[in-house]
Amino acid sequence: MRPQLEVQNVDAGYGAVQVLWDVSLEVGAGEAVALIGANGAGKSTLLRVISGLLRPERGRVAFQQRDVTGLPPERLVHLGIAHVPQGRRLFSDLSVRENLLLGAWARRERAAIAADLEHMLDLFPALADRLALPARQLSGGEQQMAAVARALMARPRLLLIDEPSLGLAPLAVRALMEVVVRLRREGVSILLVEQDVTVALGHADRGYVLETGRIVLADRAAVLLENPQVRRVYLGLTATS
Amino acid sequence: MTPALSVTARRAGGWRLALVLALAVAVGLPALTNTYYVRLATGILMFAALACGWNLIGGYAGYPDFGAAAFLGIGAYTTGVLMARAAVPFPLALLAGGAVLLRLRGHYFAIATLGFMLVLQQLAANLELTGGGSGMNLPVARSFTTFYYWMLGVCALAVAAGLSLPRLRVGYAIAAIRENQAAAEALGIAPLPYKIVAYSGSAFVFGLVGGVYAYWFTFIDPPTVFNVDFAIQAIVMTLFGGPATALGPVAGAIVLKSLDTVLTNVSIFLHNVFFGALVCLLVVFAPRGLADLRRARGGILAALRATLRENRI
Repeated sequence: MRPQLEVQNVDAGYGAVQVLWDVSLEVGAGEAVALIGANGAGKSTLLRVISGLLRPERGRVAFQQRDVTGLPPERLVHLGIAHVPQGRRLFSDLSVRENLLLGAWARRERAAIAADLEHMLDLFPALADRLALPARQLSGGEQQMAAVARALMARPRLLLIDEPSLGLAPLAVRALMEVVVRLRREGVSILLVEQDVTVALGHADRGYVLETGRIVLADRAAVLLENPQVRRVYLGLTATS
Repeated sequence: MTPALSVTARRAGGWRLALVLALAVAVGLPALTNTYYVRLATGILMFAALACGWNLIGGYAGYPDFGAAAFLGIGAYTTGVLMARAAVPFPLALLAGGAVLLRLRGHYFAIATLGFMLVLQQLAANLELTGGGSGMNLPVARSFTTFYYWMLGVCALAVAAGLSLPRLRVGYAIAAIRENQAAAEALGIAPLPYKIVAYSGSAFVFGLVGGVYAYWFTFIDPPTVFNVDFAIQAIVMTLFGGPATALGPVAGAIVLKSLDTVLTNVSIFLHNVFFGALVCLLVVFAPRGLADLRRARGGILAALRATLRENRI
């Protein structure tokens, strides 16, 4: 079976600054893939290319066997790619309910949208009694859940999540990762960008390591966790014998 | 979707009766008082309309448009040229002004809008069609009360736009773009078309006001109609009353224009000092307007005290 998402030989950057160099990556249907790497390695930039917020200078992005390189984000949301940007970026003065409903912007079927809102409260019970509050009044963990729920309201086939654990308590991180696992079972493909390597690889099938804009390692998550280089650089551990 | 994008929208149910009553009083006002007060009320309505119009782009969409008076000037000159040069009846000339403006939609945002206004001012001062720097005269109307009703109509239209915006799909998109454009884009909301809607709505109101203004004053010249002061007053009134609320700008216009009239009668000097000081106070204490102070926990006094602490005053 062909993968859900294929990124092939992508170069991308901002103005004269090139960030990504010849990056290739795949995410299969129902697969969770972790993208790890240091600050400034280009992880967020790669997500921006996939979700259409940034146009690559070279290379190709294909989603469900279809070339989507350079399509605007609103088309990609329609096709089934949802992006949870770094720093959550909720609409802080709008209520949680409004935030979630805005996630379903690209869809028109009202009944299904209402049902999905219920489904989100089932996935994230903490949001249920927060629906009427302005998003800025939520805790960090609740905001991250709201951001993920907002993205899911688009009914994506592929979910891009950027640094979900940033600034969250371990308990909140665990709750969030449980949802990621559950989504995968529901058949949603996931591309997870995460600085916390244990969290990322612990919940993914496969992983890629991005270093200064280039993919330097790609393997099954369990194998990467045992990789001496990964352990030294990203886990601060010396290679175990 | 359950529309509730602003406090005003949420409470609109209870306000409906008050609105209808206010409209009834406004319609009956000319029969109840003398010409002086009708003229004063016309001025208030004019600025209420401008503030509501500015609120569409500056409040709901969050784009501070300093050149809004450009459209007031265009509206005034379109009406003036058509009436004085082509003897077109007033309502038709006014409509044409609006139509011209809707074609002019574009993305002249924020400060660029100020430059746009100055360019138009120079253009009007140098074209033969507009009478150049010496301005142009319009036919004199028979009754002043007419203008009161025209301004009331434009104002009602602008308020209606503000009231309905948060209930529409467009309003949702505009609020999302105001709150966080990057996130809105990630959700698939293309910002430009919605910004254009807010901007043309605002421009349309300014154009209509300009058209009525020209006929009301029967004389227009470039510095009077392409005047940044119209935009500034609309901004101050909107910020005072509460941006992104439907009735905040109207309240701002009523309070400030009345105060302005009283103070001008006392001393012209004092009136300038007052407005300068008011802008400073607003920026420090109520950057989101009086509507926000009222919403604050523990009432206005507690909110003021909190602001004083935050600013170490």
